[in-house]
Amino acid sequence: MTSTLGYGAVLGALFCAAFGALVGLGTGASRREWGLPWARRAAVGFFAFMVLANAIMVYALLTHDFSVHYVAQVGSRATPTVYTVVSLWSALEGSILFWGVILGTYLLAFALSQKKEHARYLPFALGTMLAVGVFFAFLIAGPANPFGRVSPAPPDGPGPNPLLQNHILMVIHPPMLYLGYVGMTIPFGIAVAALLRGELGEAWTTTLRRWTLIPWTFLSVGIILGSWWAYAVLGWGGYWAWDPVENASFLPWLTATAFIHSTMVHERRKVLKLWTISLVLGTFLLTILGTFMTRSGVFNSVHSFTQSDIGPTFLAFIGILLVFCITLLATRGQLLSPEGAIRSPLSRETAILVNNLLFVGITFTVLLGTLFPLITEAVRGVRVSVGEPYFNKMAVPGGVAVLFLMGVGPMLPWGSANPRVVREQLLIPAAAAALTIGLCVAFGLRGVMPLLTFGLAAFVTAITLRELLLPAKVRILEHKEGPWTALVRSASKSRRRFGGYVVHLGVVFIFVAIAASSSFVTHTSATLGLGKSIKIGDYSLKFVGLKEGAEPHRRWKAANVEMTTEGGGAQLLAPRMNFFERSTDPIGTPAVRSTPTGDLYVSLLAFGEDGGSATFNLWIFPMVGWIWWSMPILVLGALIAAWPSRRPSAVLSLSSRGAGPVSKVNRGAA
Amino acid sequence: MSSLLVALSLSIATLSGAFAPQQAGSAPLEPALEARVQRLGKQLRCATCQGLSIADSPASMARAQLDKVREMVSAGKSDDDIRAYFVARYGEWILLSPKPVGFNWLVWIGPALLLIFGFAVIIRQIRRTPSTAMRSGSPPVAAPAEDEYVRLVRSELEK
Amino acid sequence: MKWKITLALSAACAALVIVLAKGFGRDPHEVPFMLRGQPAPPFALKTLQSGEIVSLEKLRGKPVVLNFWSTWCGPCRAEHPVLDWAFREYGTQAHFLGAVFEDTEENALGYIGRAGSPYPQLVDPKSQMAVDYGVAGVPETYFIDAEGIIRDKFVGPISRGAFAAQMRSVMGPRASAELPK
Repeated sequence: MTSTLGYGAVLGALFCAAFGALVGLGTGASRREWGLPWARRAAVGFFAFMVLANAIMVYALLTHDFSVHYVAQVGSRATPTVYTVVSLWSALEGSILFWGVILGTYLLAFALSQKKEHARYLPFALGTMLAVGVFFAFLIAGPANPFGRVSPAPPDGPGPNPLLQNHILMVIHPPMLYLGYVGMTIPFGIAVAALLRGELGEAWTTTLRRWTLIPWTFLSVGIILGSWWAYAVLGWGGYWAWDPVENASFLPWLTATAFIHSTMVHERRKVLKLWTISLVLGTFLLTILGTFMTRSGVFNSVHSFTQSDIGPTFLAFIGILLVFCITLLATRGQLLSPEGAIRSPLSRETAILVNNLLFVGITFTVLLGTLFPLITEAVRGVRVSVGEPYFNKMAVPGGVAVLFLMGVGPMLPWGSANPRVVREQLLIPAAAAALTIGLCVAFGLRGVMPLLTFGLAAFVTAITLRELLLPAKVRILEHKEGPWTALVRSASKSRRRFGGYVVHLGVVFIFVAIAASSSFVTHTSATLGLGKSIKIGDYSLKFVGLKEGAEPHRRWKAANVEMTTEGGGAQLLAPRMNFFERSTDPIGTPAVRSTPTGDLYVSLLAFGEDGGSATFNLWIFPMVGWIWWSMPILVLGALIAAWPSRRPSAVLSLSSRGAGPVSKVNRGAA
Repeated sequence: MSSLLVALSLSIATLSGAFAPQQAGSAPLEPALEARVQRLGKQLRCATCQGLSIADSPASMARAQLDKVREMVSAGKSDDDIRAYFVARYGEWILLSPKPVGFNWLVWIGPALLLIFGFAVIIRQIRRTPSTAMRSGSPPVAAPAEDEYVRLVRSELEK
Repeated sequence: MKWKITLALSAACAALVIVLAKGFGRDPHEVPFMLRGQPAPPFALKTLQSGEIVSLEKLRGKPVVLNFWSTWCGPCRAEHPVLDWAFREYGTQAHFLGAVFEDTEENALGYIGRAGSPYPQLVDPKSQMAVDYGVAGVPETYFIDAEGIIRDKFVGPISRGAFAAQMRSVMGPRASAELPK
């Protein structure tokens, strides 16, 4: 019964999506707007049916209805309730169902938020997005059907993968990632609409920008949460392993960030239109490629779902998308011709061009590295591995270059710069950088890359703070406002600029944290008898005994360790090993003590059966916590940048072709 | 009482072989040699894991491989010898960074080639319009034929 | 968009799709094994049951079947009856050895005490022999010929048919066991 209802809802979603796609694309092609209300209704219908299907699945999971195929696959009576809900996205079929409801939510939000002024684009945009919805609804109805019926219904199931039940982060990390990933469908539809329509107006570009920034924020948070999870759960002390699926989530983030920057040049100089649109198309393609990499079973990864028929279907979709995008760009691209030019090498435009090149270069490197084992096997028939050592070697110089540009770009003005003025502006930030490096050397820190990173971080922070606060200072002097009012007013006048610089500050935090936590690690491992201690850094750790416990879904053994610091602090740490029914290897939970300056990380490797000894791996990671604490800064910056302004914003077209300057006055750009 | 039962059931489970016993590896060598062991460990892949190095992975296979590396380092073997030992058994796959020989050059040189090509494109893009004489660092001057209306709107926004 | 760019982009995308398509059908978890046709690495280990030392060179002259297993591995326990059958069939024509992988002596002794083992089980401290042989998990069964060359290894729980096929190739046409029905 439940299976039938759920499957019916999926078919309903498929029907709405197909109907809406046809109506939308047809309406757009006819260059009229008759079908727009129907396309909107189709989007609402798609959303409603997807919500219904997901609700039915969650209900089946919570009531342990093992006659439903997916519940028989991942459900278990022993699993705690919160993880039962989480198991909706713990395996392949359920996760695609979840994808559907996220897509429906985005579609609804987009369809309802668009005003009449964009009516000429909307049919194409909604049609395209619903066409993507058709693919996913087809997947759920066909190859990845979670609603199959199992009869006779088994009495119990194996439960979700033990790794996914170990930590509360598993509740929030996948939804955030999906909100980022799936959300890239919206800017894809917007961009395709512009290409199909043959024009890209100012207001539509603003829509494109806003609807890229929203999923970008979620994707950033999702990636950082994922690395936090890896750090807190997996016990090897790392947070990024350059695993194929991790890379898959990183690739669209890189191209989306490149887009956010190139769109600024597009706005000012009316160049790079085709490039900017290509970045949006590329971002969406990379999300589909990333999903393929995760679900096809072709790649060896910690995250891979089990192999299924879904791979070839995805590859066919990727092929169709590639043909479609290339054709679109080749045939309609000339309609997006540049109207201006970049005149000077010493300008912000050029800095952003270099930024784009770096981001695309990093994207290419990560993609090539991830695919290289496959390429080698296809060409040479030999298996090779491309892992952390390769990616770190390539990513570190790239990252340092990006950090440098984050300083140079905001410092250079739009248009051409006077070298003398640039030299003057360099003085303070360069001094800050030199001072920082000097202090680090004085404190005994060594190493070219980390010191360079810290120096550049100071450089970028000085420039960014200057850019953030200078307008406020001007306001204080000219308008006699108080400091806080001046700051808020200057921010609200140029939200995107202000928000962008706040995001830059957050990114600087991340760079510093990564450099510190990888270059200045203290590591030791030891087997301790009862009552014995070991020193690491300022900490002294004494093993005081083993403890056991049991929960419905797992049993665990913890080693109690008394930690004392030189300053007199004391804490009981309890790294543990969790034993799940489903796997023969236990999964460790490390004990982490976080402070602003660094983390003490203790992981339990082995224990004597008699409880008399235990083997530990101990690390001190300086400043690693700054990576996760930068998330609120990133979100704040993105919110400021994306916040719609209530005042009417005039759209000025500074076309050098002279007369007819103002194209429109928009009310609150959508 | 219940904790005793839990302890009992856990011991039985571990003894009956339901879980791989968590054993410690060999003792670390003295710091200079151990650093070499860890460095080599980062370059070698754990044979049973999904891409982790033997230095990072907590799996028992990784521990066994790292013990082998430790044994070879203390026996005085060179880094190349140790890598060759593992490659002889598991193939090139066991190295986490592809050796820059033959076809593998593609993955090392490819990104650099792209960057060079990209820089050339950027330079061509900028050179296409010859840079005008350097102006002072004032805000960019708008197109000369600016409309009165535009100026009015702009001053309105500036308020 | 200029046609040269279109062409280049299409070629790159086609290459991408082809490479991805070729990835289907292969198992990404399969670990390469390079010792086929190579001499089996020497070892001298004590057995679990009697404590006497068994060394590989003393076994020359007859093929050797070497099975890596552990008590915590379900498939190993599943293949145990097959190995018993194999010993009955081929025990006179080849040496049979077991090696305990990543496990404690107590566990192994306990298991053998319950399930029995007709042939010697080697104790492999810290799994050094396993690493020497390129083992990447359990169960794995190695087939070494009479001259000490590793002919092949079978990954995973072995079936009677597979075992018979392996014996045929390692012993040449002299294999005399009945084929299973």
